[in-house]
Amino acid sequence: MMRSVEIFMVALILFSAFAITSYFAVLPSPRDISGLNLRELALSTMETLNMNDDLAKTVFSSTSDPSWGTLQSALSASLPANVVYNLTVYDIVTSADGVVTYSAVKSVSNCEGDLGVDSDASSHVVESSDVTFTATSQKIGEASGRNITLYILNCNDANGWWITGYTAQSLASDLRNLLSPYFRTTILVNSTSQLGLLLDGTALGAERLQDAVVINTFGEAVPIPAGYYATQGYDSGSRSYARYTYILGQRVNTYNWTWVSIVGYPLYYVTNTAVFASTQNSWGIYGMRMTGRDGGEGPAGLNAFLRGLDGQSYSYSSSGITGDIGLVQFTWNASYYSNYYGVYPSPYQTATRALPTSILNTYHLRVLPNSYIFQVKSNYIAGATYNHRDSGITHGSLTAIGLTRTPDIRVTALGLLQYFHPTIYKSELGASGTSRLVVLQLAVQGGA
Amino acid sequence: MTGISIDHMISLAAFIAVLMVSMSAFAQVMSVAVIYQRNHQVSMKAAELANTLLLSPGNPIDWAHSNSTLLAFGLQDMETRGYSLDALSLSRLTSTQPLVYFPKTGLWYSNNSLGGGGTLLVPLTSALNYTTAAKLLGVEESYAFRLAVTPTLSVSLSELDLNPLTIKAEVRGLNGAVGNATLNYLLCVAAPGIDEYPSLQTLSGTSQTDPTGIATLEFSSVDCSAFAYSVIIYARISGLAGVGYRCRDSIVNNRIIPFVEDFNDRTVLLAHSWDVHNFPPPVTALYFNATFLSLSHDFQLNEVQLVNSSEFARSGLVNYGTNYTQIRAQIPTQSAGILLVAYRSGSGYGIAAMPWGIGVLGFPVAYGGDPSSSDWVAVELRQVAINRVSYQATVAVWRTSGYNLRRV
Repeated sequence: MMRSVEIFMVALILFSAFAITSYFAVLPSPRDISGLNLRELALSTMETLNMNDDLAKTVFSSTSDPSWGTLQSALSASLPANVVYNLTVYDIVTSADGVVTYSAVKSVSNCEGDLGVDSDASSHVVESSDVTFTATSQKIGEASGRNITLYILNCNDANGWWITGYTAQSLASDLRNLLSPYFRTTILVNSTSQLGLLLDGTALGAERLQDAVVINTFGEAVPIPAGYYATQGYDSGSRSYARYTYILGQRVNTYNWTWVSIVGYPLYYVTNTAVFASTQNSWGIYGMRMTGRDGGEGPAGLNAFLRGLDGQSYSYSSSGITGDIGLVQFTWNASYYSNYYGVYPSPYQTATRALPTSILNTYHLRVLPNSYIFQVKSNYIAGATYNHRDSGITHGSLTAIGLTRTPDIRVTALGLLQYFHPTIYKSELGASGTSRLVVLQLAVQGGA
Repeated sequence: MTGISIDHMISLAAFIAVLMVSMSAFAQVMSVAVIYQRNHQVSMKAAELANTLLLSPGNPIDWAHSNSTLLAFGLQDMETRGYSLDALSLSRLTSTQPLVYFPKTGLWYSNNSLGGGGTLLVPLTSALNYTTAAKLLGVEESYAFRLAVTPTLSVSLSELDLNPLTIKAEVRGLNGAVGNATLNYLLCVAAPGIDEYPSLQTLSGTSQTDPTGIATLEFSSVDCSAFAYSVIIYARISGLAGVGYRCRDSIVNNRIIPFVEDFNDRTVLLAHSWDVHNFPPPVTALYFNATFLSLSHDFQLNEVQLVNSSEFARSGLVNYGTNYTQIRAQIPTQSAGILLVAYRSGSGYGIAAMPWGIGVLGFPVAYGGDPSSSDWVAVELRQVAINRVSYQATVAVWRTSGYNLRRV
């Protein structure tokens, strides 16, 4: 008898457990599993109603305008019969101290009262058709009273290296499209002889040569003009063209240029299809040779350039200074300016030619915090603008992007923009009288 | 001693019974939970697929306008963005309708002519079949889907009189008649021209529906009792747009049927119906005159002349049988519109219409698998625009593999 009583107790416990479990394990209704996606339906309804700006016209019309009635007809015609709606338009008001408030202008609905907790809504900002939104860039140098010229090397008598898949000319064209809105004057340097003129201090037109930005689109190679620079730039002692890059460094210092290297090891090769017509870079590309001794020792170019930039005497050094640091990541500044200017290269890149931080002391260079493109890794800088400082004044700069090939010129553009950080003047979207917020709330009538 | 044994036996039997009942009850609760979870996954997949199909243009982004290989599937219109679909992308989806064989090209054609008027026949070699689309979307072994795109506004046209031609237009939305809708109409009449070729005369205007959603259009100067006509009406109300089409031929047994030849070159073959359907004789050759009506942003149809060269014709003679070469026409512009071909045989006239972009004639689209045998189908509903005409896109998704529990 005792056993039966025990079993009765067991049964009681089990059924109690089941009852409690059933009470708490209440599954949502089928509508919650796969109901109408009201939020997306509301958004797509507003978007399609505004496809021909009809919604915007109604929203900005007088509250007694008949178009509100046709808007209601359109909503009823486009939503399923079991869906009720409430469309409310808010005026966006910005006070003098910048506080934004939303005041309801008008509401149309096919349902009296609240739509209930199961409703969902989407919002859509519509702009008045009478307003044009613009974004105008401040010109670089304008704030300090200097018109900075952008030179982009586009020499037709030179070849590029480590720009695989592109030509220097296509990169020059893309860079001009990206950067010319930010400069008062943008000039394509179409031949090495034109580059020679610039190095001589002669402007190609009416532009200002001093303080210019010079972008070398030839990758690891640098165009060398025939004549003076090819002869004076040749170091017969080391049988190299390191002296040319040394002169280049001097000129950058003298004219306070910002020299930009878009990829890899800067100044590793010199290029001129006439001067080096029968010379190749050991990879089969004619018209160029390594900068250093006997057409080798490429690092000599950058070493000589930095000495020239720093005003040191010329000496030949072929020691490689870059580091292969692998994956690098944008700095906070780079991410910020990427959004600010709408330039979106990948924030993760591979750096195999990063410059060491030690050059900052050796050549009296400085990197401003906002000009670091990538985070410093193992004492190497993958991308930044280096200012040469002399008595507290900048005399020449170098922007070096030490990433591996192929180049993403958006990184170069971003590096320059975050260094110069020109202001973008934008018409304010959402300013009083120009935009209104439309909220469409939907709910499903009836059971699941 | 006997009492104790009986007590043990009864209690054991009762224990086993209680255990089985409670296990079964708990299993039921668990199975409902598992089904809920799995159905929720299907519902999530439906939202994901709807986003992919409707909010991405695919790769390459101009895949429907070229002959390039499709790498990623999407239907968004890259120019308009948002919930706007590319009309040519939708034209290139293999229809669920029976295929059409055209012996002269030796090709099968997807019959995308689901609308009330006009035909759209796309070579299968240029159409995207469902299997490929499912593979590109990465759901071929786990889920199936069906995409249905239907016009939001229905504009039905009926003929009240032929002399003078009087057309009744009725505009309806999802919840009944749509009053005060603005109507833009274009009437094309195929009538005698100079020599044997028919002429295409057009008449356009605007009107408005009454509160019951009806408008009557009387063309007082048009007598269509002996000729063919087609009328296209765009109805608009506060951003919503719909289209209606009606056509009447005065010729029997002879037609011109346009076939899309190449989307990249925008070429169309004009075939005699005898070559397609093998009608019994007698049939006659058809003189034709073709034009293209380009749809503008404000829903006006503007005539653009077709190319006339040794390769492409805008007027000529379409004959049947193997002795005659194919007649080709080329769509003269990149924009959407309607190819209208007026044809004549003796005193009989006809008009063939082919939309270049399904929105211009309000064609619906049904693409994908059949969900009727599926236990659970999740549905996503979105509003979209195609050629600025309002549509509703429904993406239905269901599971095709894996462990399927029956609903309890």
